[in-house]
Amino acid sequence: MEGRPPEDAALAERARRGDTRAFEELVRMYQDIAFRTAFLLTRSAADAEDAAQTGFVKAWAALPRFRPGAPFKPWLLRIVANEAHNRRRAAGRRAELVLRAAAAQPPGDAAPSPEGAALERERRLELLERVNGLDERDRDVIACRYFLELSEQETAEVLGVRRGTVKSRTARALARLEEASES
Amino acid sequence: MTELERALVVLGSELEHPETPDLLPAVLRRLPARRRRGSTRRVMLAVAFVLLALLAAALAIPDARSALFRVLHIGGEEIRPVDELPQVKAPPRLATTLGAEVSLARARREAGFQLRELPEKPDRVYLGRRGTVWLLYGTPERVQLLVAQTPLESVNRVFFEKLTAAGTRVEEVSVDGAQGAFLSGRPHVVILVNDRGQPFAESTRLARDVLLWSREGVAYRLEGAFTRDEALDLAQSLR
Repeated sequence: MEGRPPEDAALAERARRGDTRAFEELVRMYQDIAFRTAFLLTRSAADAEDAAQTGFVKAWAALPRFRPGAPFKPWLLRIVANEAHNRRRAAGRRAELVLRAAAAQPPGDAAPSPEGAALERERRLELLERVNGLDERDRDVIACRYFLELSEQETAEVLGVRRGTVKSRTARALARLEEASES
Repeated sequence: MTELERALVVLGSELEHPETPDLLPAVLRRLPARRRRGSTRRVMLAVAFVLLALLAAALAIPDARSALFRVLHIGGEEIRPVDELPQVKAPPRLATTLGAEVSLARARREAGFQLRELPEKPDRVYLGRRGTVWLLYGTPERVQLLVAQTPLESVNRVFFEKLTAAGTRVEEVSVDGAQGAFLSGRPHVVILVNDRGQPFAESTRLARDVLLWSREGVAYRLEGAFTRDEALDLAQSLR
């Protein structure tokens, strides 16, 4: 899972004390994952942009309450996820996640034959269909754990649940995905 | 990690998602004021606090209300009445605030607009932020007259804020038919603001009597110790 950049804690501490330049750095460092998190939860580029932007603004306002030394990323993503959830609730039904038209070859893999590539893509589409078929809570935990590659602890913080809940919800979601593939 | 989990990680990397927009400018524009650290930051805090109190201050100060019921926008400048000016330390050298010192010829070449000049040559010329050309008469230590010209095309938003308190008189004037303002009396505070709306800490300084106006895409500012009529005469002779 993604490690915390060494300068993260120092920047967060400077930002907590009111240093806007440090906060600018944090925005640059985390805007990509903040936007991606919001997009996975809202399935809308406009809502994701709004949620991520508002999340950063709220994070700045909440920084005086940020615990020094705590990891900044999950704390920020929790705020962004809350904003995204609010927008998702307001908008009702959402678009499904889709595969990129020409997904890049995973690094390190030899180029497959055209038939192999087509088969691989077919498998991914099936898996995606199963993920899209999960209920919202299971889908969120899958998105955090595997699409965003957050740790269990980070996922717990982002989704505002206990780590044990993440563990059980992940196990349940994976079991449902397995079941769906066998049916 | 199981095969299914590995497949999910790969799937995550292959999902269609829009490119991340640059959130920073919008985030910075929306940041509320918050306590900042250090002496320069205390000045910025005072400024931020004052800016938040602007509306109330404009209504609360009779002098300001009579002369300036609304915030004046002239060229790239915004003049705001406030309850109390922030404490301002003079910058160590005015010249460093203005920009790079250049020859008048170079300023003419690089201005990007038709530079207007007084009949007398300036003692110093500076090229500053946002394409501003500063003509300085006197020395940076003892400024007799400062003429600033800024192309408005480079200004996306207000980039100067002038904070005025009771004791600073603000008169709306006409400079050759263009709307302008003459600020006199008690010195006011000039704050340069970048395009994200943040003040340049080192630029905050006290200014004396000032005439502001804009014409044909250029904002003009005359700063010195003069009466309103003298300032308007100077503006007329700026060709």
